[in-house]
Amino acid sequence: MSAANFLQLLLSGLTMGALYALTAKGLFVAHLATTRMNFGQGDFLMIAAYISTALLLAKVPVVVVVGVVLLCLAVLGWGLERIALRPLDRLKARAGEYSWVLTTMGVALILQNTATLVWGKSAQYSPPLFSASRQDVVRVLGVGVFVEELIVIVVGFLVVGLFYLFLFKTTAGRAVRVIAFNPDAATLLGIDVKRTISLVFVVAALLAGISGVLAGPIVTVQPHMGLVFTVKALAVAALGGFANPLGVLAGAIIFGIAESFANYFNSSFGDLYPLLIVLGLLIVRPTGLFGEARADVR
Amino acid sequence: MFANPAVRAAGYAMMAVAIVLLSLATGNKFYIHLAQTLCYTTVAVIGLNVLLGLTGQMSLGQAAFYAIGAYGSALLSSRLGLPLFISMPAGVLFAGAAGFLVGLGALRTRGTYLAMATLAFGFIVEIAAQRWTDLTGGTMGIIGIPSLDFGSRKMGETYFLWVAAGVYLLVQILSDYLFSSRFYRILLAVKENESAARTAGFSVPVWRVVVFGMSAATAGIAGVFFTHQSAFINSDAFTLTLTLTLLIAAVIGGLGRSYGPLLGTAIALAIGEFIASLVDLSLLVYGSILLGVLLLFPEGAIGLGARLGQALTKRKSTGGKPVDAGPASTARLSTSRKPRGNGPVLQVAGLSKHYQGVKAVEDVTIDVMPGTIHAVIGPNGAGKSTLINCISGIYRPTKGRVYLHGQDITDLGAHRRARLGLSRSFQNLQLVPSLSVIENVMLGVAPAHSAISDFAHWMTSRAYEAEERARALALLAQFNLDAFADASPDDLPYGHRKLVEMARVLAEQPLVMLLDEPIAGLNDVEAREIAATVRRIREAGTTILLVEHNMEFVMQLSDRVTVLDYGTRIAEGSPAEIQRDPAVIAAYLGTPADAPETASAAP
Repeated sequence: MSAANFLQLLLSGLTMGALYALTAKGLFVAHLATTRMNFGQGDFLMIAAYISTALLLAKVPVVVVVGVVLLCLAVLGWGLERIALRPLDRLKARAGEYSWVLTTMGVALILQNTATLVWGKSAQYSPPLFSASRQDVVRVLGVGVFVEELIVIVVGFLVVGLFYLFLFKTTAGRAVRVIAFNPDAATLLGIDVKRTISLVFVVAALLAGISGVLAGPIVTVQPHMGLVFTVKALAVAALGGFANPLGVLAGAIIFGIAESFANYFNSSFGDLYPLLIVLGLLIVRPTGLFGEARADVR
Repeated sequence: MFANPAVRAAGYAMMAVAIVLLSLATGNKFYIHLAQTLCYTTVAVIGLNVLLGLTGQMSLGQAAFYAIGAYGSALLSSRLGLPLFISMPAGVLFAGAAGFLVGLGALRTRGTYLAMATLAFGFIVEIAAQRWTDLTGGTMGIIGIPSLDFGSRKMGETYFLWVAAGVYLLVQILSDYLFSSRFYRILLAVKENESAARTAGFSVPVWRVVVFGMSAATAGIAGVFFTHQSAFINSDAFTLTLTLTLLIAAVIGGLGRSYGPLLGTAIALAIGEFIASLVDLSLLVYGSILLGVLLLFPEGAIGLGARLGQALTKRKSTGGKPVDAGPASTARLSTSRKPRGNGPVLQVAGLSKHYQGVKAVEDVTIDVMPGTIHAVIGPNGAGKSTLINCISGIYRPTKGRVYLHGQDITDLGAHRRARLGLSRSFQNLQLVPSLSVIENVMLGVAPAHSAISDFAHWMTSRAYEAEERARALALLAQFNLDAFADASPDDLPYGHRKLVEMARVLAEQPLVMLLDEPIAGLNDVEAREIAATVRRIREAGTTILLVEHNMEFVMQLSDRVTVLDYGTRIAEGSPAEIQRDPAVIAAYLGTPADAPETASAAP
């Protein structure tokens, strides 16, 4: 492997890592506040990628595209919480403990079907967001690097940074963390728990939306692309530890780079190895690489 | 489903006869094919129903086990030319083994993590089936798989149906047994209250893994039949959609009900046939069904039917059937386990428990003599709860040993200690909410028969589990709770629930009974009732170690008292000695630094 190859693999690994980080952050924040999450997170990403592709093909300016996608995804996230999650609370003991897994997957199936009906079954390719063509290259340290990839990395990690600002520096973010700590105490502190949980799922959907827009030009867009992202985002979140906000980021970077190199060495099964390693790791360390140590309760 | 074994057996026989007669009567291959699919798919759904409905474990990887069974038998029979009676069980075995391994790997993970891990596992198997074309043929598939037709062109499909139906019936019978036997109680305890399961002597991880492996095996059975139904399989059959279809069937029928899977699979297949004509909307329909059923009818079709039935009949009979509890006497409270010799029955030797530098318990030694009530007291934060958790096996001590009858039990889990005769109650009650009061107590009653004869008993006897029930009822009668035997524990007042938990602990016939703050949260009348009960239990021969901070309660009741303060033992002796002990007085009323020495002189 040449140095040029190495750098290219590293960058495409970072690119996917940024996308996984964004998607997994959505799972993380929902899990933090509610211990539930959207098992159709990848399908939200898929919808975002389709909307963005369709608008870009129609020559809509990128800024408008991003605005429309974020608006649509915010509505989706709000609707998911309202339709598939909140009613379960009203059922109390009648609802199974993990019904939410199936209801969120039910929504995912409906989204997949809708995408097929609107955009057809065949794969689509989004026009590039930032450069003239998908193949635009800049020279970095004498190595040709795709512009799109570089920008995805920058934008991706920028958004992750904004997410941290939201979580740690805003009142709403603090409310989310209080609810994570204790919903009853949050109510006593005057926090509107229901509204904050709505907000959490909107934020989660927005993160999926941004990664969908960014992913569009990098991967092929098709109705069943969501599952891969859901599985890998879950793996990343589990790898980093659901309790640890920085762990998810580190997990995503490690996972993306590992996947990129595994693919280089074994093009047919390479993408499965990181997943297998994560599964193996979870056996040894159930709370992930960076999760808090579990209490010694046997 | 039916308590009367004759009715039940007649039901099974009628199902078998109906399948044979109907399959012979109809010449329609389509119906035969549909019936085959119904039979083997129901088997997989039964496994999922037990997994999700009884143990509360969510698997999103059933398609993987289905695929492993299918490919296993397909490859063994077509590539290696093994006969079907070998390749088919082998396929099931592969699936079961894979499930066992996945279950074992997922052991330390819980709930959501299990759902994620199985989703990832299903995804990996799905991709492997697609891409490992040398083995699976990928989307091109494997052709020339022998059919299960017993060499008969004409009758082959009918024979296939009979075998599939036979297997279904067998699995259904096992499921019915599971739902009406002690296994139902154990699995619900594992699902709803691990502490209760462990203190009743059941290993939560073992039951989880066993059930996970079995549910994988049932998926394997379905996969194996699927393989030999048509002579061709390819990777398209084993996607997440298959897993979701099985889950939909389990949910539609009604989770946690023995006949949910049959009904649910029938409905799911009917829907499948219906949407075959509108393929483009299939996912939309499936998704809407998942949402609709889970949000509107979470009990599924069976639950809905039961509700309608209840509304129609307006429940004519009331109350449970009267069962003779036998004469109330302390004999009922006595334990069959008698302490041997005169030495201490329970020994805590130099036990310490540290949390990152905090010494919650430091070098505590206690000898509990047989037939006594031994109390551990101390102010809040003295380390009482940590101590009892170390003794009962919930926590692992940092240092020191625990002996029961001279046997070192320090390294045993809580369930093993329970089986050796060390059972406990909890300060914050641990009962299984979905089980009735008497079923909670029966959780502790040792089975009257061995596993096989228990099954035989269930198949043949009208009085199945009568002995276990009678014993539990007698215990409840001792606590004057027999009238509430069939009530839900959640409907009982707090004091009564405490007594129910004590009855469950007693049902285990413990050598030593550990009581964690038995009167916390009770009023005076209830506390006196508990005190009287504890005394009667001791009189019947059971040794009791209790942790409590109510001085009055402890002083009236105990034979011997150990006092903890800041994790260390500051005194031990009879109640009278303890009451005079200056160190104890200082710990409870404040140190001499707070009050001048002269002022604390006792009158």
